[in-house]
Amino acid sequence: MSNDDFRRELNSAFDDVTGTPSSGLRDRVRSAVTQAPEARAPYWIAGVAAALIAVLIVGVLYIAGPLKPPSTVGGVTTTPTPSASASPSAEPSPSVSPSAEQFVCTQEVIQSTSQDTPPPLAYISGLRTGTHGTYDRLTIDFGNRLPPQVKIGVQSGTTFTLSPSGMQTTLKGANGILVAINEADLHTSYSGPIDIVTGYPGLAEVKRIEDFEGVVQLGLGVNGPACYHAFYLTNPNRLVIDVQTPA
Amino acid sequence: MEQRPQVLARAVEGDPESFSRLIEPLLDQAYRLAAVMLADRTAAEDAVQEASIKAWRKVRQLRGDLNSLRPWFLSIVANECRMTRRTRWWSVLKLPDIVSPARDAPESHADLRSALLRLSPDERLPLVLHFYLDLPLDEVARTLGVSPSAAKSRVYRASKRLRADLTIEEVF
Repeated sequence: MSNDDFRRELNSAFDDVTGTPSSGLRDRVRSAVTQAPEARAPYWIAGVAAALIAVLIVGVLYIAGPLKPPSTVGGVTTTPTPSASASPSAEPSPSVSPSAEQFVCTQEVIQSTSQDTPPPLAYISGLRTGTHGTYDRLTIDFGNRLPPQVKIGVQSGTTFTLSPSGMQTTLKGANGILVAINEADLHTSYSGPIDIVTGYPGLAEVKRIEDFEGVVQLGLGVNGPACYHAFYLTNPNRLVIDVQTPA
Repeated sequence: MEQRPQVLARAVEGDPESFSRLIEPLLDQAYRLAAVMLADRTAAEDAVQEASIKAWRKVRQLRGDLNSLRPWFLSIVANECRMTRRTRWWSVLKLPDIVSPARDAPESHADLRSALLRLSPDERLPLVLHFYLDLPLDEVARTLGVSPSAAKSRVYRASKRLRADLTIEEVF
């Protein structure tokens, strides 16, 4: 088969799949662009807005911060983590461990309740792992703010598709958990390892699957069933994912 | 006639009309790319629309001249398609648009289309860029965000998935 034959046959197959775009696509796009929310205000407006927000946040922290007890999110009392480290290490024990009924084994969407006006991206500043008997913990630290939404899904097997390369990667463990964090990045404030093999009984490996255009995906290789309990904690901002260890 | 770089400058300054004029010639290619990646024509048009809005919001980040526009825009479309697939994973999984092969279509043609749809969307991407949209390898590379040699390797690897007996001379 010559190059031309292959190209001709392939293009014919592509034609079958795509058809032709509707005649209204151009108008649709033009209309959408024209009506898109203005994201192009002059920089000085953004600067003034950021300064006002900063003043408000500092004021609130000054008034309420020192008097506030450890924050409670989702019924879990937290204590501040001393510092974020980029290497896998055992972290301080949480004050409350998740009970068995808190673990879920299906996909879940975690919404941040933060009311702050968000900066463009939530910068991940640390990935930490720890083992705690009945569960292993992955802590994702955010340097500036919590991301607005995190989607967590489970899968059988530990093969993930790296994005945007499209290459496949297989993690340690039997099952997988995919953590998709929107409006975040893993390269501005984070310089640690992007593939962490833990050797823990539940959470076997954590690997970066995507860090592209404001979407971060982390693949978790899990021994046993992919059951987890995920929640946000603040002071400092972090997302905690507890992976149930196999019985 | 107005020079396109001036159109680009005006688009960067926030003129939606200029931006629309810039991307309209690319919409057909963008749609074809999205339709191949998603195998769903309606979703492909939605993805192109959404990608256009994102490109409009990010046009200040466009580096280089007008030659950079097409790979930049197509990479946003490809990423939007990935986002669409992820969203589907969380909501409704749809079967791809299946078009019955024409009665007189040769068997090898139907086989090739089936093999194409069996590839992952990210494997279809270099094929559609190089063979269907006729992008040169360096532009394929910029769209994929990889080196030209890596782009060539991906095109060849995906081609081999379609026809195992292809040689590299038959692909390029």
